[in-house]
Amino acid sequence: MATITQDKPVMMAQNKPARSPIRIGRILLYFFLISTSLVMFYPLLFALAGSISSQADYFRSTWFPFPSAIYLDNWISFLTGRDLWQWVVNTMIRVSWYIAIPAVVSILCGYVFTRLKFRGRDLVFMFLLSSMMVPGIVYVLPTFIGFARFPGVGGNDMFGQGGSGFINTWPSLLLPGLVNAFYIFLMRQAYQGIPRDYEEAARVDGANTLQILVRIYFPLLRSVLIVLVIFQFVAIWNDYLTPLVFAGGNKEIAPIALGAQRFIKGTAIQLGRPDYPRMFTVATIVTLPIMALFIILQRYFVQGVQGFGLKG
Amino acid sequence: MERTVAIQSAPASSSRERFGQFYSRHRQTMEAWIILVPILVYYVIFYVAPVVANLFVSFISWNGLKEAKWVGFANFEKFIKTPLYMQVLANTLFFALTILLISAVLGFLVALALNEKVKGLGIYRTMWYVPTLTSAAVTAQVANVFIAPGTGVISSVMKSLGQPELIWQINVDFARIFIIVFAIWRGVGGSMLLYLAGLQGISTEVLDAAKVDGASGWRLTRYIILPLLRPMTVFVLVTGLIGGFQIFEPILLITNGQPGNTTNVMMTQIYKDAFQNQDFGMAATQATIMLLILLWASFLNLRLMGQTSVDEG
Repeated sequence: MATITQDKPVMMAQNKPARSPIRIGRILLYFFLISTSLVMFYPLLFALAGSISSQADYFRSTWFPFPSAIYLDNWISFLTGRDLWQWVVNTMIRVSWYIAIPAVVSILCGYVFTRLKFRGRDLVFMFLLSSMMVPGIVYVLPTFIGFARFPGVGGNDMFGQGGSGFINTWPSLLLPGLVNAFYIFLMRQAYQGIPRDYEEAARVDGANTLQILVRIYFPLLRSVLIVLVIFQFVAIWNDYLTPLVFAGGNKEIAPIALGAQRFIKGTAIQLGRPDYPRMFTVATIVTLPIMALFIILQRYFVQGVQGFGLKG
Repeated sequence: MERTVAIQSAPASSSRERFGQFYSRHRQTMEAWIILVPILVYYVIFYVAPVVANLFVSFISWNGLKEAKWVGFANFEKFIKTPLYMQVLANTLFFALTILLISAVLGFLVALALNEKVKGLGIYRTMWYVPTLTSAAVTAQVANVFIAPGTGVISSVMKSLGQPELIWQINVDFARIFIIVFAIWRGVGGSMLLYLAGLQGISTEVLDAAKVDGASGWRLTRYIILPLLRPMTVFVLVTGLIGGFQIFEPILLITNGQPGNTTNVMMTQIYKDAFQNQDFGMAATQATIMLLILLWASFLNLRLMGQTSVDEG
């Protein structure tokens, strides 16, 4: 309770007479926060505790698994197995691609829409922005058909018949969704906050546009780029629908969300008592990197969500 | 800025100056289109064409292999006349609205509490926000462990309390409530963080002035804070509606629409029609209907946002 009394002077300054109600209020406030936060965290703690329980310990428990001894076999077998690292490599290929290209596109577009004057600028901007209103599923079916009937690849003839085209191959996991209107929007906002003097000074010194973008704007756009990196990392790490629809038939290129989900499902339908601790191990391991990312870069997450809310 | 350039180059001859201005304008237009053309080509192929194609497929009957047949509005008629599709639409609305309202209220309350200069803000914020960052597919698949009959967590808790077992496969309410609880667990962190940002954006002077006037507690929240957060509320509600309408993984992986389509939603039905029933026409039709509903929501958002800025400006 020592922590609570420390806050008192701030509150007291405004409300001198109401001394005790505030203290009760503070206690209730902390009770509310701690209890609800624990409820929110309960499933994650459950998964962690479940992952370090033996089968016997797990099935003795009811609402929470308290392992009698820390049992790491599942962790070790999963971390040293091939599945996890295959998913991680596949996911990281997508993550880096889906960070690099949208970053370049949005840096360029932000420049075009704030620093260059040309006819139709606002029209093009609105045209790009309009994709934000379209639910993802609208793209999925036509893109699927386009990939499946792409001529000349994946056993297809020149009319796109006979094979499966790009389906179940890497291009289907790397081609869609590279122009993200949200980041173009954020980047344009960021450019608007940068004075034009730097660019003009550099132009006087004879720098061209590419040099200006790389040497002047790139460092100044750092915080928006960090938001982009974080949000894309989380989005691609968790992306499930795209790999399910476009590459669901090829285990070799399955990213982590799809791979882990299928692994867990496969464990669940085994005969006898399902190996729940093993399922929780997989779930915990694929969630930990995201949690770590949030804890380290919390400031930027908050900034990103704020930018989304206040400007969207 | 351009004025300074013009002044600096004023001593030069007027024809050179005119050429310079022409060149500068020219450079800007050239650069803009050199950058934009490849981006726009990609954008048309991967964003515009699919929307048009999806609309087109809504008007045909096609299983992906045989020749497609133009059927006009028959798919839309089928959507309206088939009880299954109406039930799916109703379920989607039900889930979207319930999840949205509870998440918004809960997120607001927690943000309000976190805004009271509490110790350990970062810890509570993390605990509330991290579920949002987890993979919907993985957490939904694991959530089955909680409701599995016989061996599940809820099952064993009920047993230890001497209560009859809850079996979601035959208990519609239980299945629905579990989906709602799961979706709120994964989504409430977002509205909490947005409201917290909004609350932190309210100037302390406004609040102090209100407190001097005797406003506190409920009255302060109701008459000062909520009106100031109106734009944020509109945003939370509209994005929540858009997100809730597209609920997919929890339904697909927890109940798969069971029991008897009572938890089936548009996204799962589109997925089934397209990739299991090979009925591309109906899948595209539903996607078009979802697009129309969400476009309406987006325009509502813009209008309400516009109104707010007029009110305050």
